[in-house]
Amino acid sequence: MRSINYLIPVVVILVAGLLSSIFIVDEREKALVLRLGQIKQEITDPGLAFKIPLLDEVVRYEDRILTLETDLIQVTPDDQRRLDVDAFVLYRIADIKQFRQATGVGGEAEARAQLKGILNSQIRAVLGGRGVTSNTILSPERAALMQSIRQQADNRASALGLSIVDVRLRQTNLPKQNFAATLQRMIAERDREATDERARGREAAQRVTAQADRTYEEILSEARRDARIIEGEADAERNGIFAEAYGQDVEFFEFYRSLSAYELALQGKNSTMVMSPDSEFFNYLKSDGGAAASN
Amino acid sequence: MAGNTGGPWGGGGNSGGNSGGNNGSNGGSNGNGSNGDGNRGNNGGGRRPDGEGSQIPEIDELVKKGQEQLRVLMGGRGGKGGSGGGQGGGAGPAFTRGTVGLGIAAAVVLWGLASFYTVKPEEQSVELFLGEFSGIGEQGLNFAPWPLVKAEVFAVTTNQTESIGEGRGSAGNEGLMLTTDENIVDIDFEVVWNIKNAKDYKFSLKEPQAAVIAISEAAMREIISQSELAPILSRDRGLVEQSVQELIQRTLDNRKTGINILRVNVKKVEPPSQVVRMVNADGSVEDVSVVDAFLDVQAAEQERDRLERQADAYANRKAAEARGESAQLLEAAEGYRARLVNGSIGEASAFLAVLAEYKAAPEVTRKRLYLETMEKVLGDVDKIILENNENGQGVVPYLPLNELRKNGGSN
Repeated sequence: MRSINYLIPVVVILVAGLLSSIFIVDEREKALVLRLGQIKQEITDPGLAFKIPLLDEVVRYEDRILTLETDLIQVTPDDQRRLDVDAFVLYRIADIKQFRQATGVGGEAEARAQLKGILNSQIRAVLGGRGVTSNTILSPERAALMQSIRQQADNRASALGLSIVDVRLRQTNLPKQNFAATLQRMIAERDREATDERARGREAAQRVTAQADRTYEEILSEARRDARIIEGEADAERNGIFAEAYGQDVEFFEFYRSLSAYELALQGKNSTMVMSPDSEFFNYLKSDGGAAASN
Repeated sequence: MAGNTGGPWGGGGNSGGNSGGNNGSNGGSNGNGSNGDGNRGNNGGGRRPDGEGSQIPEIDELVKKGQEQLRVLMGGRGGKGGSGGGQGGGAGPAFTRGTVGLGIAAAVVLWGLASFYTVKPEEQSVELFLGEFSGIGEQGLNFAPWPLVKAEVFAVTTNQTESIGEGRGSAGNEGLMLTTDENIVDIDFEVVWNIKNAKDYKFSLKEPQAAVIAISEAAMREIISQSELAPILSRDRGLVEQSVQELIQRTLDNRKTGINILRVNVKKVEPPSQVVRMVNADGSVEDVSVVDAFLDVQAAEQERDRLERQADAYANRKAAEARGESAQLLEAAEGYRARLVNGSIGEASAFLAVLAEYKAAPEVTRKRLYLETMEKVLGDVDKIILENNENGQGVVPYLPLNELRKNGGSN
């Protein structure tokens, strides 16, 4: 009984000791074991791990990809046009020993501050580099620029134990001072377009109207011409008909036509005729012998 | 003191005994030296069976051992106290049988509750064996023996929507993007995503949502920065959506994030609405926004269309007029022709008829025609017949011609 009585605390202490010397490293983290401040062990694989209780301290670090947004900075590409740029960075803690040595107890917060500085200077260096104009940044070459920012930043960040997974330029905007000017230019462009559109409308309308007037005149003059031709033909036909008919006896035609002409010409009440009884008409007025008799 | 307190404790054990844990901790807090013992013993009893999984006989053994130790503790005290010994002895057997059985049952139930979990249809779970990824739990009932295996359940197929461009009011340039021809366009869009690989999703990104938002915005800006303004505004919306979606997906897949972009919806593509002061060509100043300018272009297009249509209408009217008038002219000419030809044919045939008559009896007809005509002509006309001798000729100059005319006219 007595020996068991003493045994229990011993067992309990042993269990407690065992438990406090075991720790679990999660899939999402890496861990450093510090023995009295000295790096003793670097655990990169998840699972169970051991330490010496009290002496050892476990520091855990994130093993997933972390995100960082840089502040908006102004870069001056080669063509001296300024751009406001910010970026979005994916990074991970690659070497926790190095990371610990570089950032100390500040950990991630300290690393972020340093990383921001690195990125800002690399973004400036790459986007402000020789031959990089704002047109380059605003083109499919943007991807290549981002890649080279990533590589250069990665080289420098490896001193912090970090690896830069990806750098994505987010805003590449004109600075505020240029913003209004750009809007004005856009408006002016639209104005030009609108004015052009209106002028073209008027031009087209004028052209169509003039063409319509011309067509009108063309059609109408053609019709007048044709009408005159028809009238001429009609006159000719009439002449032909008359010539054929009257040509059969010219002398009689003269006589006949004269008679009908008199009939028409001497119509009406307003004609007064002074005639001599010697005219043929009165041949029988004086005598029944006729003109021949009187002459 | 110890003996006094020992007595009530025996009674407590008898009357209560709902759970071994309660009793154990009570006993522990009571006994000075055995404080740690009671806790440890019980905790160990709770944990060890889980640790060994299915080795239930061992659990029983351990529990029994624990109970024996407890009993020894109680008994020892009882012995020391002397007076309470009888009571303690009486309480011992009851404590071991009923309460221990219940305690084990309760522990097993609790362990089961901690180890079994359900996954809903839209969810999946990630299981970690001592922190290391061990498997994915599909929908239904899943088993993760506590505390060795830890399960995290989360929604997978549920669509999540991130709105980008609106509300990000920093510096007043939310959603404003620069195109390759250095124009500014205002874009609001949303990204709909879910999880295609639970393991990748859980272990690749610390802040997946923030990453999706930032990558989407960067992708949209990248695509916009590579295209010109006019096509974005008019026809390429679908193309923009598609290429942004592909770019986001590619970026995410490169990092094995397990995120699936379902679609990108461009909600608004507009020129910026900010108002700027413009100086016109004639020196006047007006406040215009780019949107207004774009609308004005549309108005101008309409105006152009209107002018063209009006001109077309005029042309159509004029052409119809021309056709009508020319038809009128031609018909009139044809009418003239008919009138003329028919008239002359009639006249000619009348002449021919008379001619035929004349040829039959020329002298008579000639005279008759002459006389008939003269009759008609002279019948209507005022006549003055003067004797035509040598003297008579001299009369003519004296005739009051005007008078005669008047008379003739009045008559």
